[in-house]
Amino acid sequence: MANLSLRSVEKVYGNSFKAVHGIDLEVKDGEFMVLVGPSGCAKSTTLRMIAGLETITGGEIRIGDKVVNNLVPGDRGIAMVFQNYALYPHMKVKNNLSFGLRIKRTPKDEIARGVENVSGILEIEELLERLPKQLSGGQAQRVAVGRALIKQPEVFLFDEPLSNLDAKLRASMRVRITDLHKQLKQASTSSTVVYVTHDQTEAMTMGDRICVMKDGHIMQVADPVTLYNRPENEFVAGFIGSPEMNLIPVALQRNGAPALTIGSQTVTFGNQLASRLSASTGDDLTMGVRPQHMQMVPPETDNAFSGTISHVEFMGHEVNLYVDIEGHKFTVVIPGDHYNPSMLADGAIRLAPRESQLHLFDPKTSQNISLA
Amino acid sequence: MGGEKQWVGLAYVAPYVIGLLVFTAIPFGASFYLSFTDYPLLSAPIWVGLQNYIELIFHDRTFHRALQVTMTYVFITVPLKLTFALAIAYVLNYKLKFIGFFRTAYYVPSILGGSVAIAVLWRYIFADIGLVNMIITGLGFEAINFFGDPRYALFTITLLRVWQFGSAMVIFLAALQSIPAHVYEAAAIDGANKAQTFFFITLPLITPVIFFNLILQMVEAFQEFNGPFIITDGTGAPLRSTYLVPLYIYDKAFRQFDMGYASAIAWILFAIIMVLTLIAFWSSRHWVYYAGDKRS
Amino acid sequence: MTTTLSPDAAAALEEANAHNARTRRNQKISAVIRYVILAIVGFIMLYPLIWLVGASFKTNAEIFASPGFIPQSPTTEGYERGWDTSTRWNFGHFFLNTLWILIPKTIGTAISATLVAYGFARFDFPGKKILFVTVIATLLLPNVVTRIPQYLLFRDLGWLDTYLPLWVPSALAGDAFFVFMLIQFLRAIPRDMEEAARVDGANTIQTLIFIVIPLLAPAIISVCLFQFMWTMNDFLGPLIYISSVEKYPVSLALRLSLDVTEAFQWNQVLAMSALTLAPSLIVFFVAQRYFIEGISTGGVKG
Repeated sequence: MANLSLRSVEKVYGNSFKAVHGIDLEVKDGEFMVLVGPSGCAKSTTLRMIAGLETITGGEIRIGDKVVNNLVPGDRGIAMVFQNYALYPHMKVKNNLSFGLRIKRTPKDEIARGVENVSGILEIEELLERLPKQLSGGQAQRVAVGRALIKQPEVFLFDEPLSNLDAKLRASMRVRITDLHKQLKQASTSSTVVYVTHDQTEAMTMGDRICVMKDGHIMQVADPVTLYNRPENEFVAGFIGSPEMNLIPVALQRNGAPALTIGSQTVTFGNQLASRLSASTGDDLTMGVRPQHMQMVPPETDNAFSGTISHVEFMGHEVNLYVDIEGHKFTVVIPGDHYNPSMLADGAIRLAPRESQLHLFDPKTSQNISLA
Repeated sequence: MGGEKQWVGLAYVAPYVIGLLVFTAIPFGASFYLSFTDYPLLSAPIWVGLQNYIELIFHDRTFHRALQVTMTYVFITVPLKLTFALAIAYVLNYKLKFIGFFRTAYYVPSILGGSVAIAVLWRYIFADIGLVNMIITGLGFEAINFFGDPRYALFTITLLRVWQFGSAMVIFLAALQSIPAHVYEAAAIDGANKAQTFFFITLPLITPVIFFNLILQMVEAFQEFNGPFIITDGTGAPLRSTYLVPLYIYDKAFRQFDMGYASAIAWILFAIIMVLTLIAFWSSRHWVYYAGDKRS
Repeated sequence: MTTTLSPDAAAALEEANAHNARTRRNQKISAVIRYVILAIVGFIMLYPLIWLVGASFKTNAEIFASPGFIPQSPTTEGYERGWDTSTRWNFGHFFLNTLWILIPKTIGTAISATLVAYGFARFDFPGKKILFVTVIATLLLPNVVTRIPQYLLFRDLGWLDTYLPLWVPSALAGDAFFVFMLIQFLRAIPRDMEEAARVDGANTIQTLIFIVIPLLAPAIISVCLFQFMWTMNDFLGPLIYISSVEKYPVSLALRLSLDVTEAFQWNQVLAMSALTLAPSLIVFFVAQRYFIEGISTGGVKG
């Protein structure tokens, strides 16, 4: 049993730069938690504080039911996989795997069993006698995972472990790590994972839950589906999803059916939107619509925005249209078979945001006011 | 650079090739030849076969004493100097302010150490009434006759060399700094304490540099001349307790002009250095980690 | 985003914060201990030099009166008398002599070592491997073996009691350490710029002068500085080759003054010792970066 909890954890550096602003996070036993955010959001710092590689300047970190603030990394019951693997360059693979156990004076036969077991799982048996410099990136990666696995830690920490691999290998390692986590969970061994990445694809595909961070604050913690469909604020809305969500200033009329105005164009919506609106500081809001949720409608359709296509990216199964509506740039994704080059003749297009997938943010607080 | 005619490269290294032949290769061979001759400089060398070596190995008491002193000197100086250099480099290898200042301060003796002025200074420091004895007597102890007592005389010239640990330290420091932080972090995660990290991670990773320093310092120490020569006026006093082999070679060659015999001494010294270097190289594959080529 | 904490958790939090404060204090203490060690060892190491400078301004009577370095009644007598020496020449003359060795030796070393390193690092030629092995071998070859035949060679060339034996070998890239150091530096410099220059029509000499040397300048400066120090410190070379007092470099002159005056004129000897160390010290402090870089590169990558 090892849940991980962070309470009011702070990190202030010597130069009084506050990197982490009192964050609270609960990771359940067996959960695969992904920390994601742009560079500089302190996700790695947070992970390193959990590991004990960075001191925390305030707050408390618990693993299971013990407070680990006071403990050196080796006593925290964690294992970590580093971005650049951090294999010991002078040790053969088998010694890299067993170093942690040897330090703890684990009996020899137990170490041997551990090495055999782990190298079997990760298919690195034939690499055991090699030095790290004789390994390819993918092999080194597996050894690094093995080094974590062999210690049977309560919590696994991954610090952008796939970012040094090429795209193909990254995809297969993604699957491998998720499978490994499932296996561990089924074997009901310790399997709590905290996984740091800047790549939202990794975050969305691997995480049971995802913690989105920005500038040392947690912006939202939720499972992938919730995160995608119900972003709590503008940042999460913009960060998750590709291409990025369109975030455009609009004026909201609340009297009767809600209506949104961009420049001189107004589109009216129905009950679905009306029912989920909550209070805001004003009526000048930010509309958030994902490019996939801007629907192209026939030219004669009422109640839609009209704009001009400025640029097209044809990618086969889908097409990105860059559209100008009253001076605001929209990205629109349409299925490839809806695309017809003749659309470009005059460039005119009419677009209707899908009501159920439309978000409104209060520009003052950046909070989503359409989640009620 | 591709496509060049081969003589272009040769033209650039020509000065070296000439220098190598004239000032190193030919003298090297000549020295070997001379070591089998009797050559009092004024007349032509006369071939005497192994006579010089037989004399040196079986009869020359002065040589035996000099060799014994030299060995003692090298085997005390080199490990002491390297240990000091590594220890200070280790202390310096932290994110401390003024690292640059301390590194500079520790490096100064290496810059000046080989000079006559420092050897002169050493005489004054360890003189009967010198700096060290002033401090010793000031603390209420009895003054030590450093240059009069064979037990201490070698110690003073040993100290002179150990004092110059700065250059080895700078090399160690650069090596320590080149160990990536994440390797230490991985060790911390694996539960290694400070001592374990030092002995299992740090030390193995800098073995190439330890090896390099070891060879360099050993070769240098075997050839030490300035310090003892100036401190003892070339006598190696007291009782030849600081009379290193290079001093003996100098006396034989340039005071007594016994060039053949001096060459033979040089060759014995060379052979000893060679054997120790080869032992070091041979043993290195058991203890030196080579970061070199990818894939074996 | 702070949640309200239960009293129990609040207590734990307080305890944790206290622990954090302790950790920070311990880190500070550890830093202080390091500084103390470094400062004490550093002071012991440098005290002889400090004492030397202080003592050189003391009167003879005072030098061996106390271990302190501050002169009670400062005097420049040691410098004035020491400068005159017991010979017909003053110390200025001997400094000039050293300069006449330094200049050709340093320039010769810089030029020859650069050419040779360039040849090794950038060209292929027959016998390159063997020649490079000789560089390493010479690096480790004890000079003691070649000294006697070299002396005989210079005697036959009629070079005894001239400065030629002291600098000509260096001007023919004889100091393997420098060649090796420059090769290491050159290997770390990408060839793109040189290749671009070659494409632009420069020949190898133009490439060397306009591209390689500017890039290599810091390393060449370290070579010059090391050669400067070594030459200032060199004693055995002049001792063997220079016999007339008129041609003595400072190292021999200092030893001469030791023989003549030491028995009673301590402050003169100390003053002249301090003086002979001054050029090296000044050069070192002005250009220490180059020393550290030079030795780190030559050493670690070796």
